Amino acid sequence: MSLVADLPITGRMKRGTLAGLVVLAVGVLCLLLEKSVPWLSVWPEAWTIPATQWIGDGLGWVLNGIKPVMRFVSWLLEFPMNGANWLLKSIPPLILIGMVTALGWILGGWRMAALGFLGLLFVLGSGYWLESMSTLALVFVSVPLALTMGLGIGILAYEYPSVKGVVNATLDVMQTVPTFAYLTPLLLLFGFGPVVGLIASAIYAAPPMARNVLLGLERVEAEVKEAAVMSGGTRRQQLFLIELPAATTQIMVGINQCLMAALSMVIIAAVIGGFNDIGWEVLLTMRKAQFGQAFLAGLVIVVFAVVIDRMSRALAVEHKARDWRPAAGLFAVSVVAWLVTLGSLPAPAEFNWFGGVAERVDQSVGDFTAANGARLDAVKNGAMFYGLLPLRIGLDQAVLPFTWGFAWTPAMSLWFFAVAAALSVAVFLTGREALAITIACLAIVIETGVANLPWPFLLTAVGALAWVASGWKLTRLCVILLALILISGLWERAMLSLYLSGAAVVACGVLGGLLGLWAAVSVWAWRVLEPVCDMLQTIPLFVFLIPVLMFFQIGEFSAFLAIIAYAIVPMIRYTRHGLVTTPPDLIEAATASGATGWQMMREVRLPYAMPTILLGLNQTILYAFAMLVIAALIGTTGLGQSIFLALGQADVGLGIAAGAAMAILALVADRLVQGFASQQRAALGL
Amino acid sequence: MTSAVTTRGLWQVFGAGAKAALTRELQRGAASEDVASVLRAEGLIPAVQDASIDVGEGELFVIMGLSGSGKSTMIRSISRLAEPTAGEVIMQGEDLLKASKARMTELRRTKLGMVFQHFGLFPHMTVIDNVAFPLKVRGMGRKERHEKVREIIEMVGLAGREDAYPRQLSGGQKQRVGIARSLAGDCEVWMLDEPFSALDPLIRRQLQDEFLSIQEKLKTTILFITHDIAEALKLADRIAIMRDGRIVQIGTPTEIVLNPVDEYVREFARDVPKGRHMTLAEVMEPLNGAVPTDGPELSTSMSLEDALADCALSMQPMAVKDGDGKVVGLVRPELFARALGAQG
Repeated sequence: MSLVADLPITGRMKRGTLAGLVVLAVGVLCLLLEKSVPWLSVWPEAWTIPATQWIGDGLGWVLNGIKPVMRFVSWLLEFPMNGANWLLKSIPPLILIGMVTALGWILGGWRMAALGFLGLLFVLGSGYWLESMSTLALVFVSVPLALTMGLGIGILAYEYPSVKGVVNATLDVMQTVPTFAYLTPLLLLFGFGPVVGLIASAIYAAPPMARNVLLGLERVEAEVKEAAVMSGGTRRQQLFLIELPAATTQIMVGINQCLMAALSMVIIAAVIGGFNDIGWEVLLTMRKAQFGQAFLAGLVIVVFAVVIDRMSRALAVEHKARDWRPAAGLFAVSVVAWLVTLGSLPAPAEFNWFGGVAERVDQSVGDFTAANGARLDAVKNGAMFYGLLPLRIGLDQAVLPFTWGFAWTPAMSLWFFAVAAALSVAVFLTGREALAITIACLAIVIETGVANLPWPFLLTAVGALAWVASGWKLTRLCVILLALILISGLWERAMLSLYLSGAAVVACGVLGGLLGLWAAVSVWAWRVLEPVCDMLQTIPLFVFLIPVLMFFQIGEFSAFLAIIAYAIVPMIRYTRHGLVTTPPDLIEAATASGATGWQMMREVRLPYAMPTILLGLNQTILYAFAMLVIAALIGTTGLGQSIFLALGQADVGLGIAAGAAMAILALVADRLVQGFASQQRAALGL
Repeated sequence: MTSAVTTRGLWQVFGAGAKAALTRELQRGAASEDVASVLRAEGLIPAVQDASIDVGEGELFVIMGLSGSGKSTMIRSISRLAEPTAGEVIMQGEDLLKASKARMTELRRTKLGMVFQHFGLFPHMTVIDNVAFPLKVRGMGRKERHEKVREIIEMVGLAGREDAYPRQLSGGQKQRVGIARSLAGDCEVWMLDEPFSALDPLIRRQLQDEFLSIQEKLKTTILFITHDIAEALKLADRIAIMRDGRIVQIGTPTEIVLNPVDEYVREFARDVPKGRHMTLAEVMEPLNGAVPTDGPELSTSMSLEDALADCALSMQPMAVKDGDGKVVGLVRPELFARALGAQG
């Protein structure tokens, strides 16, 4: 009887164990043959296909074909862009501040009005008014474009189920392809100039709108849709009179996300240069190591992001229609203020209220780094030499007399493996097969280094994980996708990217998981962490680079920190959310069974939260890949660097190929984690 | 009584390739049970199988069954909210399933009305705009349509709440809006899909009574879906009982209670207080000689429950009179006991 009952469990264990043993066997085999069969560890150049070249040539041909049309579009777009630019720069700052304050009042009452007022006042005082208006002008033109495209695509996908699959797949890819990779082909099409930033941001900002429109329409109650049908509405009447209005809240969320994406992309597109906008200002001052100024310009961006985010988020919150008179009053006050100060106010570019602050920041950062330079270097070098570097190139190469005080010898390798094997076997005998195999595989990774991992080992490992997570279909997909990277000659760079983002993800997983746990058990902790998380998610990617640069200069460690700062947020949020949403009846049942607080956490809340936590990890991985490319600006190696280089050389082939490789890595990681998450959900019967 | 809505051999099968599979099996001429089991074996879901009903003009026809029995799918097939896989739906000589999209829209505007279990109110519209929506889609001007629906809003007892939004209403009020909206188009066939199931018992009874008085006034043909046997018995002229996609019995409330065709229907009728649905005519004995003269006034159309209240203390046989006051039978206390206890 008990044998039969146990079968499914042992069967499942066997699946994981079997896969793990295969991976381990391949790993050991690769290590043993490392010397005699060199192509096992390094894919020979002769076996690669010139994919980069082909893509470059093919795309170049297509792009050249449609270039005249696109140049015309570009020419057309210059009118609204110049118009918006002229308009925003000609409106006196005080009046614009009044308008935004009034708008804030209408959207969210006094708090929002105060946010708008103080935010824009800060921008004016910083002296970056004109640069900010250049940025805003781009957003102003790109957002309506993105909204229209997003709305159209969303409706189309909703109306035609056959289109929906295509749209969803495209949106998935667009979300994983790094932002910089968009820019290179656009450069070729539209030439250098702000229109590229405009179009890139419109393309980048349309998908969130489309997704939310589709989601909103799908979520309209079935009976509401049926009631529209039974009332005798034509299809068009149903859509425009009932379904779209009923989906308003979700569509407003889409507008918010669209705005934020557009702003983020406009700022990223500043690397192309040529528009004298605020992103360019950050880049410029960062390159000149004027961190105080970069910090100030970065703050201006943050202020914009916060004001735009909070105001557009207020759109999605239902509220009573507000009295318009205070808004009119606020506006009138600003006009009066403008008239009174007419002639006596300096030009917007000449404000410099915070010049002292910038200098002081420079000064104190300088003082701080001077005073604590040794300590900062110790942190940086410690992390690099004892953590990141061994992970990247393995103990056998990273352990040098210069850093570790001794050289790594083959005998040490042998000892290392012997200890790992003994530990693994010991754990295996206690019945925790998965842990044992993980230990053994980790030993291989640490000894060899992620960047030097033999490709058959990695392909087998990913394939096996996919098989355990979901099945053969996923295995096939993952292996084929990774093999594409292998034969296109981008493998080495991909491994460098994998190593850095992997290290950041692990750090985020541990740190974010602990913070999430802390926020789940302490209300007070969440009260502190929540606004921090909100803020980190609002800030455009670019800005994360400024503080890490200030303290740790250019290099991999700075990039590592920037990635963590950005990617840790979902891990914290999802962990906490998963832990605090345990159904009350489960908690009551556990309490009634006499569980202590810690037992409750480990035995009930954590298992229940696992699928949610895995989704958080999934988001963290995607965030890390997105930031990895931006971090290439401050010196990382790998695919991000290639994409960035391709942009500088307008090399479409390299840009797209490296972007695609990056997307593949993100996609594979995404599918693996999703597979495990849905397995967990199914196991919990959710 | 002429028929207002007729369905013949109505099938609704879900799943990929349902139509082809059903057509193939029907051509083979097998019994519908066998067709259904073949379809199920192929992974398809036969939600409505070979359903034929005949609803008379002005009749209140109730379709009853447990959840998953196919009753909601049935009404959605008739209104073509879900496209049926096979069969006919005849309304005034016209097969709805052959009607074009435009014709269907036209019919929904003028002849069909529907009320939903969870109300299906448009969240962004006020009460009056919700109710007037069927008129709006016909292109009627705002003032005119508001004028026109005021009377209906009054009839369902929502006068004064015209400018409220659905979120500001209670469940009972929401369903009043749903009822008013379905009536705004002057419908001839009124379909109600478990309209009172989402309401609490007190409100449910109140709305049932109001519903009956509206029906008294309008005399429309009604298709009413419910899973509640008591509701079905209270409202229906006739009841169709569905199980696993099939109609297993059609009959008047009394027929359903007294002569269930199978165990399934009997189970339904089990908890029904039979005294309320059985009349003296069904339990009395024929006269055999002496006619008792004293005792309470009993008539053939009285329910057992009412009669019991009148003669609970009597140990003697009592006379039962027909509508004209003529004595036509006898009842004795043990007849009551037997009738009420027989299937209980």
